[in-house]
Amino acid sequence: MMELPATRAGHVGRALSATAILLFLAMPIVIILVTSFGTDGIGTFPPEHYSTRWYEQMAAPGGNWATSIALSSLVASLTTVFSLVLGVTAATALARGRLPLHAAVYGLVLAPMLIPQVVIALGLFLFFEPAGMLGSPLAIALGHTVLAAPIAILIMISTLKGIDERLEDAAASMGAGRMTIARRITFPLATPGLIAAAVFSFITSFDEFFIAQFLSTPDTRTLPVLVFNALQFDVDPTVTAVSAVLIALAILALALVALVRKLGGHRNQQGGVLPVEPLT
Amino acid sequence: MAGTALAPGKVRVKTTSAMRGHRSRIALVNAVPVTVFLLVLFVYPIIGVLSLSLKGDNGAFTLHWYADALSGANLSVLVSTLRISAETAVLSLLVGFVLAHAIARMRPVFAALAMLIVVVPHFISALVRTYGWIIMLGEHGLINSLATSVHLPGAPYSLLYNETGVVIGTTSVMLPYTVLVLQGVMRGVDGRLLAAAAGFGASRFTIFTRIYLPLVAPGIGTAGLLSFILCLGYYITPALMGGDKQTVVAALIDQQVMKQDQWNSAAAFGVILLLLTFAGLGVLGLAKLRRKKTAARRSSS
Repeated sequence: MMELPATRAGHVGRALSATAILLFLAMPIVIILVTSFGTDGIGTFPPEHYSTRWYEQMAAPGGNWATSIALSSLVASLTTVFSLVLGVTAATALARGRLPLHAAVYGLVLAPMLIPQVVIALGLFLFFEPAGMLGSPLAIALGHTVLAAPIAILIMISTLKGIDERLEDAAASMGAGRMTIARRITFPLATPGLIAAAVFSFITSFDEFFIAQFLSTPDTRTLPVLVFNALQFDVDPTVTAVSAVLIALAILALALVALVRKLGGHRNQQGGVLPVEPLT
Repeated sequence: MAGTALAPGKVRVKTTSAMRGHRSRIALVNAVPVTVFLLVLFVYPIIGVLSLSLKGDNGAFTLHWYADALSGANLSVLVSTLRISAETAVLSLLVGFVLAHAIARMRPVFAALAMLIVVVPHFISALVRTYGWIIMLGEHGLINSLATSVHLPGAPYSLLYNETGVVIGTTSVMLPYTVLVLQGVMRGVDGRLLAAAAGFGASRFTIFTRIYLPLVAPGIGTAGLLSFILCLGYYITPALMGGDKQTVVAALIDQQVMKQDQWNSAAAFGVILLLLTFAGLGVLGLAKLRRKKTAARRSSS
């Protein structure tokens, strides 16, 4: 590409400002990771002494933290199952078929990503409260699926669009049945996308705060609800270790998705994870 | 996008009309689960919010809750939510523009690394990131100890539990969106146009304001509106990084439901947020439509 020749000052200025901004973005995360190993928890930075004390506290069986981690895992697993089912079916409809009212269904799918979450949470609260389902892991998982399913669907749409339909047509022309094609051709090619959809559904639910807050009771609090309370009301240094674990989990998840995509021969597409592309 | 395993060109097996009918039937069947799910657990609950906001204590229709939401202390919460959202939109646009512009001219390796640092935090719990900011911006946090150690005038600054803290936090949350959108448009700018202008003797400033900015303007609009919209209903950062005065609408809704049992009033606030979001999305949609029309007119003439 032809460009204006860069001036030295412009070059240095750009590099400096970019570095400063990137440092600003990365620092909060680095600080948590380091602080979580400090003996005095939320004290000075960098900590004077290091220990794994807060991690032990977090994992203590029967404690608040361990209970909420178990609950969050259950909710996130349910959410993953629900949103994969919705993701695969909806993406098949939207990416492949000639769907009547395509735009309407697509709009409906995108809407939960753009509507304020507090409104969704309030609506779900009013929906589940009369049914006496507040605090039920199923209710929280169904609520989380409202947010996770659109992400899974967008990922599956971009996956299915990336698969050459002529492969399926070729198999069909050689007499393969619909099920055989799905099992032998589409499914293996879509596996990286499926894994990405599962991973993002899981962490969407595992990190979700607002819906969980509205649907929880004092006995059933997911991890983010507990973290929020710890940050807002009582300063429990264990929260730093929990935060570090959440960071590690997110990075592991992203690494897994990147690895699977690489093995699947995909080029580093961030396709469909942020609702940015459909809007521009 | 499509794989290149087969010969190029769109040679498809001929679809007969029977097959086409079959395909749309399959698509319909597959569209059922998500449509039913979202109608029951997304659209219906929101209609529930809407109807609750229009109901008085005795169940009759009333606009009382809206009148209540748009007056006195409640109105000032709404105004400060709008102000915080606008400030966040402007700041994340500025920072995002500088960053995206720098990334666009980086060597591929550095550009990929920079994008990683921008995008990865998006997948880390916002609670956790906010907590990181709290540690960093506090009176004895990293920023203030740095500022005092180099004797910056006025240090230490109060960066936490006020509007500054909230806007810093929300900006970092919105930044991945603005950078991605801006990057998209910046990549589409034809460098030859800039070089041509330079060839005719235009100064760098003129090239930037007269050619570059108009070319990326649609992206700036989209990015700004998007972060404004997403900020409207945001709760975590204002709740944790704001002071007592920085109540935002989402926090008010939470309070009214959880502590005061004022569901109707909370619902009215929810609907107001919803309408503001729709207005923002409407502007986005209109702008997109207009761009399409101009593009069509240009290509036809």
